[in-house]
Amino acid sequence: MRFSRDLDCHVCENCYIQYRNLQEIYHNISDQVGPTNVSCKDSLLRSDRLMLVFVLFDNLRDIWILSGCDRCVAEGLHSLTNDTLYYMAALNQSLSCFEKHQQQGNHSELCKDCKTTYKGLNELYSRMEKNKTLCIDIEDAMNMTRRLWSKNFNCSFPREETVPVIAVSSFMLFLPIIFYLSSFLHSEQKKRKLIHPKRAKSNNSLINIQDKYS
Amino acid sequence: MANITKKVSWSSRGDDPAQGEGTPLLNGATEAARCTTRQFSGGNIFRIGRMSTVDLEEETNTEEDSVLSRPKEIPHNEKLLSLKYESLDYDNSENQLFLEEERRMSYMGFRCLEISRWVVCGLIGFLTGLIACFIDIVVENLAGVKYQVVKQNIEKFTEVGGLSISLILWAVLNSVFVMMGSVMVAFFEPIAAGSGIPQIKCYLNGVKIPRVVRLKTLVVKVFGVICSVAGGLAVGKEGPMIHSGAVVAAGVSQGRSTSLKKDFKIFEYFRRDTEKRDFVSAGAAAGVSAAFGAPVGGVLFSLEEGASFWNQMLTWRIFFASMMSTFTLNFFLSIYHGKTGDLSNPGLINFGRFESDSVEYNLYEIPIFIVMGALGGVLGALFNVLNYWLTIFRIRYVHRPCLQVMEAMLVAAVTATVSFAMIYFSNDCQPLGEDQAEEYPLQLFCADGEYNSMASAFFNTPERSVRSLFHNPPGSYNPLTLGVFTLSYFFLACWTYGLTVSAGVFIPSMLIGAAWGRLFGILLSTISSSTATWPDPGKYALIGAAAQLGGIVRMTLSLTVIMVEATGNVTYGLPIMLVLMTAKIVGDYFIEGLYDVHIKLQSVPFLHWEAPATSHSLTAREVMSSPVTSFNRIEKVGTIVDILSNTTTNHNGFPVVNELIDHNELGKICGLILRSQLIVLLKHKVFVERARSRLNQRKLQLKDFRDAYPRFPPIQSIHVSQDERECMMDLTEFMNPTPYTVPQETSLPRVFKLFRALGLRHLVVVDNENRVVGLVTRKDLARYHLGKHGLEEMQLAQT
Repeated sequence: MRFSRDLDCHVCENCYIQYRNLQEIYHNISDQVGPTNVSCKDSLLRSDRLMLVFVLFDNLRDIWILSGCDRCVAEGLHSLTNDTLYYMAALNQSLSCFEKHQQQGNHSELCKDCKTTYKGLNELYSRMEKNKTLCIDIEDAMNMTRRLWSKNFNCSFPREETVPVIAVSSFMLFLPIIFYLSSFLHSEQKKRKLIHPKRAKSNNSLINIQDKYS
Repeated sequence: MANITKKVSWSSRGDDPAQGEGTPLLNGATEAARCTTRQFSGGNIFRIGRMSTVDLEEETNTEEDSVLSRPKEIPHNEKLLSLKYESLDYDNSENQLFLEEERRMSYMGFRCLEISRWVVCGLIGFLTGLIACFIDIVVENLAGVKYQVVKQNIEKFTEVGGLSISLILWAVLNSVFVMMGSVMVAFFEPIAAGSGIPQIKCYLNGVKIPRVVRLKTLVVKVFGVICSVAGGLAVGKEGPMIHSGAVVAAGVSQGRSTSLKKDFKIFEYFRRDTEKRDFVSAGAAAGVSAAFGAPVGGVLFSLEEGASFWNQMLTWRIFFASMMSTFTLNFFLSIYHGKTGDLSNPGLINFGRFESDSVEYNLYEIPIFIVMGALGGVLGALFNVLNYWLTIFRIRYVHRPCLQVMEAMLVAAVTATVSFAMIYFSNDCQPLGEDQAEEYPLQLFCADGEYNSMASAFFNTPERSVRSLFHNPPGSYNPLTLGVFTLSYFFLACWTYGLTVSAGVFIPSMLIGAAWGRLFGILLSTISSSTATWPDPGKYALIGAAAQLGGIVRMTLSLTVIMVEATGNVTYGLPIMLVLMTAKIVGDYFIEGLYDVHIKLQSVPFLHWEAPATSHSLTAREVMSSPVTSFNRIEKVGTIVDILSNTTTNHNGFPVVNELIDHNELGKICGLILRSQLIVLLKHKVFVERARSRLNQRKLQLKDFRDAYPRFPPIQSIHVSQDERECMMDLTEFMNPTPYTVPQETSLPRVFKLFRALGLRHLVVVDNENRVVGLVTRKDLARYHLGKHGLEEMQLAQT
């Protein structure tokens, strides 16, 4: 099975030339006034209620901004940045490594051999994330690779040391029980001395109360 | 309000009889023969209804004498009243000195006083906001460092194995932080333990809790709460803000620091309990406002707790203090975050904005909310019951400071263990969304690009977890994860409250409620699979949080407003109010609110709003203490010194009567004088014989009394020579010539209402000829409460 990148998102890579053209043309719409005293701009962009031309351009620009393609494509939109090209090279390396070991049914070989290249790729990706030089192409490619690595090839770390963790946890949980038992058995219980305050002899009101309750 | 020498404490660490002088008993063994007590029942509860079977007139016979001579000792329970709590001197002593001062003050003087009250309230708000800011910043940094270290350790060991080392590291870090906080509290200032809200509730009720508003308490509290939260305990930092605000208020309003021995010579008029208590309510409101970003909620909190002395100007000033507090906090936090003037952090807890369109609720959801409220009430009652038994155990058996510190450390270690175990064994992995700002996402055994979602609940400060539960989109939490989290956190929080650390219970209970609320919302959406969007789990998390909090603390009005203000959406006012009311009604059926439980366990003579029902049959005569120790108008110094030094009776107020010819007669009341006033008089040696020589010297002014306030020297430190003992002292100028009195036949509710509404400390009971027959104090009134079998009486004990 070849690991093609056909299913990835390639917006920035494939479309930057066309987007550059679109931007140039749009910004060239002149402000000059024509014969009917209406400017070019108004007659093109505001000709109908929907303002279709304007809305479409606006949406395309939003998609460009959201996908972050500005970070992958160099100034002036003439070519991809060096970082992006370097990343693509590293990605191709990893994919070819996967392909080489793909034939065997058991993936343990793959996990061992391709580990360094994959780790390098991951670290490159984290660095780019911190520098904020990521765009949707790179993110999507990375996502796919990661899914391959973890889900298809099952190369992520298995849970090995359940036993020591359980042992330490049970020990920690046992400590408070010992603590409370020992304080119950060894500490002397706090007792309170009762005080009897001075009260008046109420002889005449005794009759009232007894009447109420008899 | 004399502070006597012995060190009294709020915590279970009472006075050991071995240290210091003998603790005073109120009419203990020696005077047993003279008193006619009414009850000798073996149990702790005395039924008033059965009074008819006890003959009140009989003399004590010898067997009962011997029983009385040994004071009875019982294990601590909740039906006791402690002797160490006195009332505040809220009622003003209008003696001649005071009246002279009032006459001398001009109209401008009164205006200046009003203005200075406003200035003080502003200062209180400002300083409280600064303290909240400080706590927030330090906790953020400390907790950040800790989580960073643990996270790196976990990531390192996930690959190579040895995760149990990470567990041990986490537990040790937690224990170290908590040990520092706990040591400060247990050894230096035990009153700073807990959240501080019960203590402030009692203070606003008029009980003088020793050491509760001192500078040392504030320092220990701030340091303690920082250590507790950074130590990962299941606690919040909002409750201690209220206590801190109160301390700031008590300190700033006096214009001096007794601990630091600096007197700024301002605000001298405010050096009395009357003014101090008013300012403390402003401070408590400022604390609430800084904690939650809810100024009106703060005002209502003070109102709910101490409304007996309310008036409009006070409300206005308290509101001003609250507003200053939240504004200061907001401003300085925005400077710290680099966005000066952003003003988006009005409180320590930030629930995030609930956008109006996404959080609508429909009318048919109201019954569901009410069911959630009932559930919150039941769970809250369960929490309170468990905490009650745990606290009784702690008071009885874990009362040495080293044991308390050890217990706190153990709880911290177990909290870390439980969190780690939950994270370790959880298989729930979620990808990290863009809007979910997890600060320390833990990948552990998840696929790359995904993170352990149990870690997002446990590996975070509780405030952030609450915020995630409110605002994360549907589908971010697995029901099993939430269920396990709720269960474990419930028991952890219940175990943690009551430890000797400074910690609050607001945020843990909100977190528990948010978790099961969200679970409820998820279950609802799976049941009603018609439209996937109507039960937004975040909304149910909010309702669940309110229900659980209401079920635990049982505050209604102030809590509603606090939640409405904290979520920034008045739309939720009605559901939250219904939920809180339901939770309170359901929960009150089982047990009281958490703070009330702790107040009872500390044996504080707390006066509720009204006297218990069915108590009209009791009159002032049964309630009062009698006979009363009183002084003549011109009394011999030796008598005064002897009575004050008498350790068997710890009286603080003495009626002043006309000259008695026959000592068995009762005297006619002409005034009331306090122990603190007598001590100042003795210290300045204001004797009649010295009057002539004192004409050259200065006469005693009100200022001298105010300078000695609040820590009056004990009688043992006043030295009176033999000659001076024969001198006479004229109390006429210094006594309160118009004390409040009630006739003997006044019913208990009427006495109660007078006492509570005016904030009295002593109420003199007179007969129809105006002769003093008895004295009613707080302990006499607080004894009565309505139990399961009718009116019951609590007993006094030495704690």
